[in-house]
Amino acid sequence: MQSKSVYKVPDGKLLKIFLDYNEKNDSINNIRITGDFFAYPEKGVEIIEKELEGEIIDKKRLMKKITEVVKKHGIEFIGLNIEGLAEGIVLCKHE
Amino acid sequence: MNEEWRLLKTGFNNAFNNMAVDKAILHANSKGLVPPTVRFYGWKPAAISIGYFQSLMEEVDVEACKKFGVDYVRRITGGGAVFHEHELTYSIVVSEKHPEIPKNIMESYSRVCGALIKGLKHLGIKSDYAPINDIVVNGKKISGNAQTRKMQTVLQHGTILLDVDVDKMFTLLRVPNEKIKDKLIADVKERVTSIKHILGENMSFDVVAEAMKKGFEEEFSIELTEGELTVEEKRLTEEFNKKVFSNKEWNHMR
Repeated sequence: MQSKSVYKVPDGKLLKIFLDYNEKNDSINNIRITGDFFAYPEKGVEIIEKELEGEIIDKKRLMKKITEVVKKHGIEFIGLNIEGLAEGIVLCKHE
Repeated sequence: MNEEWRLLKTGFNNAFNNMAVDKAILHANSKGLVPPTVRFYGWKPAAISIGYFQSLMEEVDVEACKKFGVDYVRRITGGGAVFHEHELTYSIVVSEKHPEIPKNIMESYSRVCGALIKGLKHLGIKSDYAPINDIVVNGKKISGNAQTRKMQTVLQHGTILLDVDVDKMFTLLRVPNEKIKDKLIADVKERVTSIKHILGENMSFDVVAEAMKKGFEEEFSIELTEGELTVEEKRLTEEFNKKVFSNKEWNHMR
């Protein structure tokens, strides 16, 4: 199932997520994280996208997973944060 | 004696060349081939640049751009879509290890924006840094900025609006909801300003560039000496122009 969310991160930028997910078990097939935020290094966002494949769309679980990836790869966001990113993904499910 | 940095005035070029030059300087500086550099440039034809993470088709009306002869290009820096027409664009490239450059990214935005604020002051304009990446005059945006760090080197580029045509901008950018387009345009007109609007007269590109040069010199305690792109930078520019910025795969990546 293809879905999209537009979410203004509190005190941050406008996050637009394109999500393809499995409706049967709410798992992520494919995700594109877009928007006018900053991330250092930029490649970090592609790593997060790849690592989220197969994850279940649940805010707490997503936050845990993203935190792990961010720590492992030393990714820094500006205008975006881990909770905002997880929220944007969860919003895809509700639409 | 202040440290000497290089000043480049590369004139008006198309979007692909402009972005290729910034990336070429970044690479050359990271290899120690060129000194820290401040560059001033403009855009011909007018162009839209989008942030590294933005979706091209989501942000840009590609058909309208073609119709009006406006180029579009994806930047290597994050941030939002910008319509480049009547503006002075700058870039600064310097090692992350330079003592004048804060390790903290937000602090380094604030330092580079400090140079622009000092430059605007030379034009008689009082402005403030508005985190994350804007400069405002009386609360209205006059400058947007974007930074990347690669190979232990900082590249920040940004715009100073000489004039602004919000209506034209919105014929080229896509809006989420056509029904509220008029309201959106009205809002943006309220939130954006330009040197022309503030001073009530046109300021030439060269006059603004001279003021900004002083601003950078004061902020970083440096002396800017005009130079040229090296042979290697020109070669890299050609390469990045062809392989990256005018490449459809790059621009449509997201």
